Amino acid sequence: MNLSSVSTGIQRSFPFVRHLTPPLIALLLAVLLFFAGGLVKPNFVNINQATNIVRLAAFLGIIAAGQTLVIISGGEGIDLSVGAIVTLAAMLTFRYTNGNNGLIWWGFVLSCGAGLAVGFVNGLGIALLRIPPLVMTLGMTGVVQGTILVVTQGEMLGAAPPLMAKWIARPLVFGLPGVIFIWLALGVLMWLLLNRTTYGKHLFAIGTNRTAARLSGVRVQQVVMITYMLSGLLAGFGGFILLGFSQTVFLQLGNNYLFPSIAAVVVGGTLLTGGMGSYWGTMSGALVLTLIDSLLRAMELEQAYQLIIVGIILLALITVYGRQRSLRQ
Amino acid sequence: MTLTLLAQGIVKRYGGVIAVKDGHLEVQSGVVVTLVGANGSGKSTLSKVITGVVAPNEGQLLLNGVPVQFPTPQAAKKRGIAAVYQELSLIPDMTVAENIWLTNEPLLGGISLRRGEMRRKTQELLDLFAGTTSNNLTPDTLVNTLPPDERQIVEILKAISSQPRLVIFDEATASLDRSQVDRLFELIRQWKREGMAIVLITHRMDEIFRVADRVTVMRNGQTVGTVNAADTTDREIVQMMIEGAAAPDAGRMPQIDTTAPVRLEVRGLRCGRLQRADLTLRDGELLGLGGLQGQGQTELLLALFGALPYAGTVILGGKPVRFRHPRDAMKHGVAFVPGDRATEGLLLSRSILENFLLPSWQRYGIIHDVESARQDATTAARDLSLVYSTLDAPASSLSGGNAQKVVIGKWLLRRPKLLLLNDPTKGVDVGAKAEFYALLRQLTAQGTAVLFYSSDDDELLGLCNRVLVLQDGLVRDELSGERLTRENLVAASMGTTHEQR
Repeated sequence: MNLSSVSTGIQRSFPFVRHLTPPLIALLLAVLLFFAGGLVKPNFVNINQATNIVRLAAFLGIIAAGQTLVIISGGEGIDLSVGAIVTLAAMLTFRYTNGNNGLIWWGFVLSCGAGLAVGFVNGLGIALLRIPPLVMTLGMTGVVQGTILVVTQGEMLGAAPPLMAKWIARPLVFGLPGVIFIWLALGVLMWLLLNRTTYGKHLFAIGTNRTAARLSGVRVQQVVMITYMLSGLLAGFGGFILLGFSQTVFLQLGNNYLFPSIAAVVVGGTLLTGGMGSYWGTMSGALVLTLIDSLLRAMELEQAYQLIIVGIILLALITVYGRQRSLRQ
Repeated sequence: MTLTLLAQGIVKRYGGVIAVKDGHLEVQSGVVVTLVGANGSGKSTLSKVITGVVAPNEGQLLLNGVPVQFPTPQAAKKRGIAAVYQELSLIPDMTVAENIWLTNEPLLGGISLRRGEMRRKTQELLDLFAGTTSNNLTPDTLVNTLPPDERQIVEILKAISSQPRLVIFDEATASLDRSQVDRLFELIRQWKREGMAIVLITHRMDEIFRVADRVTVMRNGQTVGTVNAADTTDREIVQMMIEGAAAPDAGRMPQIDTTAPVRLEVRGLRCGRLQRADLTLRDGELLGLGGLQGQGQTELLLALFGALPYAGTVILGGKPVRFRHPRDAMKHGVAFVPGDRATEGLLLSRSILENFLLPSWQRYGIIHDVESARQDATTAARDLSLVYSTLDAPASSLSGGNAQKVVIGKWLLRRPKLLLLNDPTKGVDVGAKAEFYALLRQLTAQGTAVLFYSSDDDELLGLCNRVLVLQDGLVRDELSGERLTRENLVAASMGTTHEQR
C-alpha cells in the first residue's frame, strides 16, 4: 500500500480532511497546543493565559504582516530588514517623544515614515537594480543598524509615553489589551488588501508567474516596489506598537522578531516561492509560534531543548502542508 | 576509417503524439546530406535519435552495417557522432576554452588540467573562423559576453573538437551572418574531403544547393524521399515537402472589406531577430503570419504589444503610438495571446476567475465589487463554452483547449480592437480548434483586426485571406488570392519565391 492510496483512504473516511487548508491546520494546532498546555501544567488553561498569549502573538503578527506580502510577491522575495526597521521605529519614537504623551501621534508618523523610507530603498534596489531580495534587505539591515548606532552613540536616551502602554499593552476593554484590537483591525485591512484590491490580485499574479502577469498588463516592477514599501511601513508600525509593550529600546529589540516573522508566514501556509498565501494564515502562525514558546517556557525546559523542539515542529508542519497540497490536487 | 550510418524505420512517440513515424536517413563519409521539412515534420527528433539524445520507440541504427544503440549522447560521441544544436548548450559563466573542452579536457596524468595546451588547441579551432569574428573572441573570453553568432561558432567548434566522423548541424546557420555562413560552408567542404560525414538541417533553400550532395525530405514524421542535389530543383523539393497533404478546409474568412478603416500600420519595424516588417491591417481582417518557427514572428507580435523594445513606426487607428509596456498597448485596445499557455499565458495555481480578470481588475473599483466580477467571468466562460468545475478551481485543472480559452477570454472581456495571436492552437485538440476558428470569425465580423501567427500551414491556408511569410527576419512574400497556395507558402518560408526562379 503506497502513500497516495493511504491518503485517498483517509480522504474517504474523513471527507473534511480535504478542506484542511494550511491556515486552518495552523489554527487547529494553536487550539490543540493551548489545551495540551493544561496537561503539562494544570494552571496553563485559563482566560488570563489565553489573553496573554494572544497579546504576545499580536506583536509578532503585526510585524509579520509586511513579511507576508513580500513572500507572496515571489521572485525569492524575503525582507530581512524587518527586525532592524522595528528597532529603528521604536528608537525614533522613544527618543522623539521622550515620554511626552502629546507627541505620540508624531512618533507614529515618524515610525511609519522611517519604515516606508527603508522599504523604498529596498524596493529601488530590488525592482530597479535587480539586486536579489535576500542580499538587498540584508545589506539594508546593516545600514539601518549602523545608523541607529551613529544616532544614539550606543546610548538609548528617551522614554516611552505612558499613554502608549495604556492603549496598547494593558487591558483596555473587556480586559483585553488594545494591541489585540489593533491586530484584528489590521487583519481585516490585510484581508481587504489581498482579496479585494487590484494591488492584491496583481501581487498574487506576480508571485505565481511574472511573465504571464506582465503579458496580462501587470506592471511587475511597480508592484514589487509597492510591496517592499508596504513591508517597511508595516515593520515601522510594528516597531511603534512594540514600544508600547517593551517600554524600552535596545539594539536587538527587533532582531528577536525577524526569524519568527518568517516562520509565522510559513507556518501560516504561505508558499516561500510566492503566489499562494494569506494573512489570516500568518495570524494563525503567530499564535502557534507564541504558544509553542510559552508552553516550552512553562515546562521549564533548557533553551537548547526548546530550540530543538521548535525546529522539529516546524519541519513536521511543513511536511504535512506538502502532503496536503498534493492531496488537494 | 570510413563510416556509413543508416537509420531506418525510426518511430518516436511522446505520450500520444507521434513525432517521427517512419524516419529514414543514410549518410556516408565524404557526403553532405541536407535534411529538410516543414515545422514539426520530425527532422530534429530524428537527428536526436541518431545522436543518442532521445531513445526511439522502434527502428534501428546501423553503423557500418552493425546495429548499434546509443542510450546517451556520450555513447554516440564515443563512436564519433556529434551534433550542433540551435538551442545552445554552452555554459555562460565559463570561458570559450572551458566550454569547448568540457568533459573532454586535455589532462596531465589523468588529473591535472593542461591549461596551456587547452588554450593553444582552442586558438587553432578559433582560427578556422578567423576574419569573420570580432577580436573579442579568444580562448579566455567568457561565453556570456559573446553575441549570438559567436556563441553559435563556439558551439560548432565544440562539436568539431572531438574530431567526430559524423556531425549533425541542426539549423546551425540561423544566427550566423553571411561571411560566417560562407566560411562554415568552406569548412564543411574541406571536412567532407577529409572524410567526415555531414548532416545539415536547414530552412534555407539556397544553402541546400550550395553544399549538399543529397537532400532527404521529411513530411509529417516520415522520410518521403532522398534525391541528389545535382538532379533536383527547389520546386521539386517543395513538392516533396507538401505532396499529398490534405487540402485546406473551406472555412476562409469572408472577403475583407477594403474600405474598412486601417487599424494597424507598421513601417520598418525592427526588433531583435526581426530585421524589417511593414504591414497594413484593416478592421475586421484576419492577417496571417507564416514561415518556419523563429523567423521573427514572435518578436513582431511582442513589439506591437509593447513587451519588447523596437525601432520603427507603428500607427494604430490613425495615430502613431509607441508602447513601452503591455499595459500601454492594452489601454489602446490591443490584446496578445502568447504561444506558451503554461509559462506565458496562465497563472496555473490561481483560480480560473482570477485568470479571466487579471487584465481588468481596475474596473471593479478600489474595493472590488466581486459579484459583478464573478458575473463577467461567468458570462465569458459561457460565451466560450468553457468546460470547468467552478470558477474557483485552479487554472491547472483545465484541459489544453479550455486553458487556451481562458487565455483568450481574459482579453475578450476588454473587447480588443487589435488581437495579436502567437501560435494559439499549438497543443489544442481538433474540437477546441474548430471552436476557436468560429470565435475568430465572430470577432472579425464584429470588426476586430487580428494578426495571427501560426506554425500550422493548414490553419493559415484555411482561415486567412492574406498571409505574410517571414524568413530570416524579413517579410519574404505576401500571399493572397490566387497566390495563396501551400506551394508558395512553403517556398517563401524556405527563402524563394516562384517569380524569382
